[in-house]
Amino acid sequence: MEILIRDVSKDFHAEGRRITALSEVNLAIPANRIFTLLGPSGCGKTTLLRCIVGLETPDRGEISIGGEIVWSREKNIFVPPEKRGLGMVFQTYAIWPHMNVFDNVAYPLETRKIPREEIRGRVEKVLRFVQLEGFETRPATKLSGGQQQRVALARALIAEPAVILFDEPLSNLDAKLREETRKELRSFLTELRITAVYVTHDRIEALSLSDEIAVMKEGRIVEIGSPRDIYFESNRRFVADFIGRANFIAGTVAAIGGSHALAETPIGKVACRAGKGLAPGQEVTVCIRPEFIALKETGTPEGANIFKGTLESLLFVGEACEGEIRIGEILLVARLDPTAGLREGAPVTIHFDPGHCSLLSA
Amino acid sequence: MTPLLIAVVGFLTVCPVVMLLLGSFSRGLGAFGAFTVEKYVQAYTDPAFADILINTALFTLGSAAVATALALVLSYLNTRTNIPFKLLFRIISITPMMIPHILFAVSWVLLLNPTNGLINLVLNGILGLEASLFNIYTLPGMILVEGLLDLPIAYLIIAPAMAAFDVSLEESSRVCGASEFRTLTKVTLPVLRPAVLAALTLVIVRSLASFAVPSVIGMPGRIYVLATHIYRIIATGFIADYGLASAVGMSALATSIILIYVYRHFTAEGEKFVTISSRGYRPAVIDLKKARYPLFGFVALLSFLLIILPVLVLLYTSLVPYVMVPGARAFSMMSLRHWLAVLKDPLSLLSLKNSLFLGVAGATLGVILSVFVSYVVAKVRTAASGILESLSFLSFSFPGIVIGVGFMWFFVQTPLYATIWSLLIGYIATYLPYGIRPMTSAFIQIHSHLEESSRVCGGGTFFTLRRIIIPLLVPGIVSGWILMATMFVRELSLSVVLSRPGTEVLAVQILRFAEDGLWGRLSALGIIMILISTTLVVIVSRIGSRMGRMYESG
Repeated sequence: MEILIRDVSKDFHAEGRRITALSEVNLAIPANRIFTLLGPSGCGKTTLLRCIVGLETPDRGEISIGGEIVWSREKNIFVPPEKRGLGMVFQTYAIWPHMNVFDNVAYPLETRKIPREEIRGRVEKVLRFVQLEGFETRPATKLSGGQQQRVALARALIAEPAVILFDEPLSNLDAKLREETRKELRSFLTELRITAVYVTHDRIEALSLSDEIAVMKEGRIVEIGSPRDIYFESNRRFVADFIGRANFIAGTVAAIGGSHALAETPIGKVACRAGKGLAPGQEVTVCIRPEFIALKETGTPEGANIFKGTLESLLFVGEACEGEIRIGEILLVARLDPTAGLREGAPVTIHFDPGHCSLLSA
Repeated sequence: MTPLLIAVVGFLTVCPVVMLLLGSFSRGLGAFGAFTVEKYVQAYTDPAFADILINTALFTLGSAAVATALALVLSYLNTRTNIPFKLLFRIISITPMMIPHILFAVSWVLLLNPTNGLINLVLNGILGLEASLFNIYTLPGMILVEGLLDLPIAYLIIAPAMAAFDVSLEESSRVCGASEFRTLTKVTLPVLRPAVLAALTLVIVRSLASFAVPSVIGMPGRIYVLATHIYRIIATGFIADYGLASAVGMSALATSIILIYVYRHFTAEGEKFVTISSRGYRPAVIDLKKARYPLFGFVALLSFLLIILPVLVLLYTSLVPYVMVPGARAFSMMSLRHWLAVLKDPLSLLSLKNSLFLGVAGATLGVILSVFVSYVVAKVRTAASGILESLSFLSFSFPGIVIGVGFMWFFVQTPLYATIWSLLIGYIATYLPYGIRPMTSAFIQIHSHLEESSRVCGGGTFFTLRRIIIPLLVPGIVSGWILMATMFVRELSLSVVLSRPGTEVLAVQILRFAEDGLWGRLSALGIIMILISTTLVVIVSRIGSRMGRMYESG
């Protein structure tokens, strides 16, 4: 089911101050896709999710799920959360501690007055799906974090909702378990062909799980796109910075020609991918991700984007070495081959592909 | 150190119980140790005993229901809604420390007694009635007053559970398709069940031990419960029969000990229900809309009944010559004669002196003992510290009057009998958990890493103690001292047994005034008692905050 959000705004009032949580958000969440709301804490992503599910009411605007309006200030419509027929996994999992696994998972069906026999079969099926067979009578207080997470997922799935919402469901798991669960969740959701709205502040979670990502900042949607688009193509500094590590060099546009543009920067002329709406003389920021900076073998340097510098520091992080390369006043971070036998203080020559070098308008 | 502490705490808690048990099989104080079951036969074949048991059951269960229901409403309003002036809830939760129970009970007698209760007099005047509308000397009257008195205990158990309640448990129920009502009955109340049951159990234990309300309100109405039944056996009539009192007391004590372990079971169950706490998202409070101010009015009325009205009634009664309807005539006759009478009364002055001594010396000794016990319980954590914890917890259940009878059997064998020291020992034994509890939580808050990092930074044992541990303990010490001192200044139920001529204390003196109907003097002495408690609280919290600051800057 498609979710449409039109001009939704919401303010919070706390201790006499007004805090804008959502500011004229417009969003179309496509059906049967995994859609992620990504942003730093306090950007309004959880508030938006809670508005969709009905636990929070916006101040203005309209929300419809699968063509049915569930909230509209103008038309005075408010469908309470229990009538929206959604599934949700909470950050704390919200497993009811006074019930066992079966009662927790069966709850949504019991509210729908489904016969006992059918409930039993469906609970068994969904527990098998989340790999918790045989846990029916386990008390909720005797579950590990990962198991609680699965029970929460089973409970969200059992009523076969058309939309399922996730509020940072992995943030309470430890790093190793988080990685495994992320993969599992991806395969569960792909298998189900369900509309999923996922809230997180973790960029790796967002990139690896989503079909589409909306990046939020201060109550607004900044950019929407596929994980690849967001990572490689974004021309906003906030997005480029938030979604991954990047080097930023301030400069001005010197020339534009075809698919490439030339920027004048403190390290020299840098050839970049030409963006839309650039004019010579405009102030821009050059963005290069550390993994695209490579060392060039000694010899006669030829081609674009070749610079000489010194390797100021070198940090071994296992799968790579993180080097800081000084070119004049500028320090660039590069991901280098850990087996290359580099030394701190050595002169180096670097280059990077103009295709991986973007110009940000701000 | 642990064995010594076990010996001290063991003596304080086990001695009265064992002496009570032995005493119940003895013929009398003079014939201790000669075995007989005569007193049990006499106690439990008394035809009036069934009525006493029924009264006790109705009284304790009724007060528990009143206190818990009010506490549930109050804590829900405080933690989950946008009701204004939330400071008031904090005030409600700490006032019982300021107003002694016996004065609270007396003030309600002054308001609602059938002969000349102020409210009755006023209503009779307005409505032109012959007979009074209300009679406090009834079981419902007792239940109402005891329920109000125990409300803070129930509130202090339920409010933290309500505050720790993860709202997403309710939200997920809504998302799963449950209505608000279904969420309330299937999720909210079941999750709060251990806290509610714990509050109910503790209030039952407290009201079973309560002596102020049954003596001031129940006895004039000839409604006897176990506590007043025991009092009747040892304090009225020709011969005080301690053997019989012990035999009756055994059932009260056994019930209390069982209930206190039931209470413990519920609190443990409640702790199991604590789930991963939600980070970051603060749940929206429920907007009461139009009900906001009416509900606040209800809370304000309750605070008025609990705090302001008792003091006002006592102040008024202490100034008028006899009970009369407030008005021009009453104001023209106001004088300080009751105050002067009290200040010239040698017994009142002696009781003042004794109570003040017991409050200050008892609380100080009690706090010192509590610091050591809590240290062992919270930090040493061996099998022996477990024993210590159970022992110190045991006295939490002690009904004062019963434990007083137990101590009586012990003290008559020693030179301590009829001295102020017997009261001091009895007080500390009975109220030790109130010192240990705040101190243990203070010790638990001092994470061992804080201590360890001081050691790593180069601080020796005593340096660490002086700069890290003691400053962090100050709040616990201060609140433990205040709690114990105020309880000792107003102590009644243990004192009515142990206090002898020469060792009168304030609350007992007030009970005597109440029995003699000297309401004016009673009120004057009562106000002095409240002033003493309040002054102690203010002085010690001042010292505490200054010490805290001194350590911060030092």
